[in-house]
Amino acid sequence: MEKTKQRNISISGSGTAAGGEYDQVKVNGSAHINSDIQCEVFKCNGSAHIEGNIKTGTAKVNGSSHIEGNMEAEEMTINGSTDIDGSLTCSEVKIQGSSNIKGDLKGKEIIVRGSASIKGNVSGDEVDVKGQVKVGGDCEAESFYARGNFKINGLLNAGNIDIELLRLCEAKEIGGENITVKRNIDSSGFKKFIKFFIGQQTDQLTAEVIEGDHVSLEYTHAKVVRGNTIEIGPGCVIDRIEFKQSLELDENAKVGAQEKI
Amino acid sequence: MDNLISKKDLLESANISYGQLYRWKRKNLIPENWFIRKSTFTGQETFFPKEDILQRIEKIKNLKDDLSLDELADMFSPSPTITSLSAEELTKRNIVSYTALEMWNIHNGSTSTFSFDQLLTLYLLDTLLQTGEMNRSEGIELLHILQQHSNEIKGKESELFFIRKMGVSFFILTPEPAKLFVESQTKIIAHYKLNQCIEELKLKIS
Repeated sequence: MEKTKQRNISISGSGTAAGGEYDQVKVNGSAHINSDIQCEVFKCNGSAHIEGNIKTGTAKVNGSSHIEGNMEAEEMTINGSTDIDGSLTCSEVKIQGSSNIKGDLKGKEIIVRGSASIKGNVSGDEVDVKGQVKVGGDCEAESFYARGNFKINGLLNAGNIDIELLRLCEAKEIGGENITVKRNIDSSGFKKFIKFFIGQQTDQLTAEVIEGDHVSLEYTHAKVVRGNTIEIGPGCVIDRIEFKQSLELDENAKVGAQEKI
Repeated sequence: MDNLISKKDLLESANISYGQLYRWKRKNLIPENWFIRKSTFTGQETFFPKEDILQRIEKIKNLKDDLSLDELADMFSPSPTITSLSAEELTKRNIVSYTALEMWNIHNGSTSTFSFDQLLTLYLLDTLLQTGEMNRSEGIELLHILQQHSNEIKGKESELFFIRKMGVSFFILTPEPAKLFVESQTKIIAHYKLNQCIEELKLKIS
């Protein structure tokens, strides 16, 4: 493939294209791309099926796309739905619709405003979730910010962890410097509206182990909480607390053993 | 259990906080497989290989003021940071001795630039020669085994054993950490963890 002369492909209607190197790839109907593809701009307004890997500068998916290989991009926005069978590596990724990633998700800034499900590990500088996230492995970030629902099967490890709970949130282990878990206080009717559809479920975080320098928890069920300064707010059920400097307990918290180290 | 240390004891004896430990883990300064999960009467606890983790944390604490965490991660990772170095620079900066370089040249022919793998081989040869435990002909054998298996030990937690029994010496190279039991008359003269050698070498080069 000649690199000097970059070509564009635009598929309006239904079409099939071979892979290769392109400048711009635009899909307005339905497209099938047979092999690996490399381009500067990838835009999909209809549906696209890529039977290989894709590497692109920017990617915008407004419809639906399915990628059978790995995806690499500088900037990516998903407004519709995207399924990636491999891993996604992207410096800035914004998921506003839904996406399924069977491999790992790696990026600097990961923003989820809809729903995302990742079978592998997630790592990034900033992970910002308003919506729903499922992670099969571990989740690592410098800052992890969640307003919504998440389930992490492995370890959630971040410098700053800031969580506003919505329904049942779950992580196997949580570790970091500053960990804050609060109940979502939503004065608008939005939450009531959701609850009307999905049923009355309490907001709660479940974890086996929570370890951090400064830990502040509400409505959290955990087996062990360890840290320097710990604040246990209302609704917490914790089997064992180990702290170094200070421990504050709310009267509506249930705590088994507590030990100063 | 005696060569393992629990997370709680580690934090206390190394005087670090949970936050630091998790940050270093995140930055890949502490390898994932050092986190050993075991269930205890207080629930699940994490243990670490005692010697390795204490050494590593000591190094991180000593170096973290001079190097960024990312630079440290590069140093601890088994993959090379630099691609090559000239022979002249090697002796001038006293990275390896002239004797070791000469032996290399006799064995492999004169080499002007060294790749990282070659550097590691040369560095191991030099270290063992410097201890005075290994003679020149054994040095040639070392060059042989390291060069022959350079691809198989790359990026792994390889270890090198140098063993002698009644004047007969040989090398054992394992791609994974191994426990060796030897006969009573046998002596393990040297036991190197290649990852540690890589760290030392990177420190010397940078």
